[in-house]
Amino acid sequence: MKILVVDDSRIMRTIVKNSLLQNNSALYSFLEADNGVDAFNILEREHVDLLLVDWNMPHLNGLDLVKELRILPKYKNLPIIMITSEAAKYNVIEAVKAGVNDYLVKPVDDKKLLLKIEQVMSIN
Amino acid sequence: MDTKYIEPFIEATINVFREFYKEEPILRSPFLFDKEENLGWDLSAVIGIAGETKGVVSISFPKNLIIQLTEKLVGHEIDSLNDDVIDSTGEIVNIIAGNAKKGLEQYRLVISLPSIVEGPDHKIAWPTSSMPIITIPFDTSLGPFHLSVGLEDIIK
Repeated sequence: MKILVVDDSRIMRTIVKNSLLQNNSALYSFLEADNGVDAFNILEREHVDLLLVDWNMPHLNGLDLVKELRILPKYKNLPIIMITSEAAKYNVIEAVKAGVNDYLVKPVDDKKLLLKIEQVMSIN
Repeated sequence: MDTKYIEPFIEATINVFREFYKEEPILRSPFLFDKEENLGWDLSAVIGIAGETKGVVSISFPKNLIIQLTEKLVGHEIDSLNDDVIDSTGEIVNIIAGNAKKGLEQYRLVISLPSIVEGPDHKIAWPTSSMPIITIPFDTSLGPFHLSVGLEDIIK
């Protein structure tokens, strides 16, 4: 499964990757971006099975990236999980309306992340 | 001092330190911060709050503590306030502010990207308005740090 991890914090990207690799290092491969613009460019040239995206990032934030992707038919069914510090209910609702499949609040629990990925991928 | 509105920040800080660093920070008595005062910190991360109120949240560390905390995350030794230390400090204040919004849902708030202030005994240029800044001291097994919060017309 090829996962694009988008977060402006390199440490957070590493934490997310490590938590998945610890579970099953053979199952996952990763691409990384530190903002929405770079993430969009990667998606345009690489096949990606799952997008894990932060909300607050420079240039193009995660919410706007999701909105832009969902406008395009080819990304309509791309599984997207938002991983963010934004814990308010109105943020969750906004992200779901924008088109995320699921939502996790940082700091992320490894087991929860795995469970969400399994759920999202099984539906898609 | 109305401390009801700083409780979400305290709870978020304890939760973040527990999850991120496996540390149990001990809360000390919050105090009204004198904006002209320097408290001897080496690195601070500051985040702005906008929306239905304006405000600021900052977290400040002595060099040795933030280096040791970052070492726990990256799994190797660090000898200076390098990019990893700055990255993790910005992320911490982002997570604290974002998590605290859950306890302040009666206000629709937007948080900014974090800014970093670095230097021995640095001073943060706080908003010059009458907004009071509440500083919340914490102790950890590795040393003390401060969280500071100001929310216009909310924390009085």
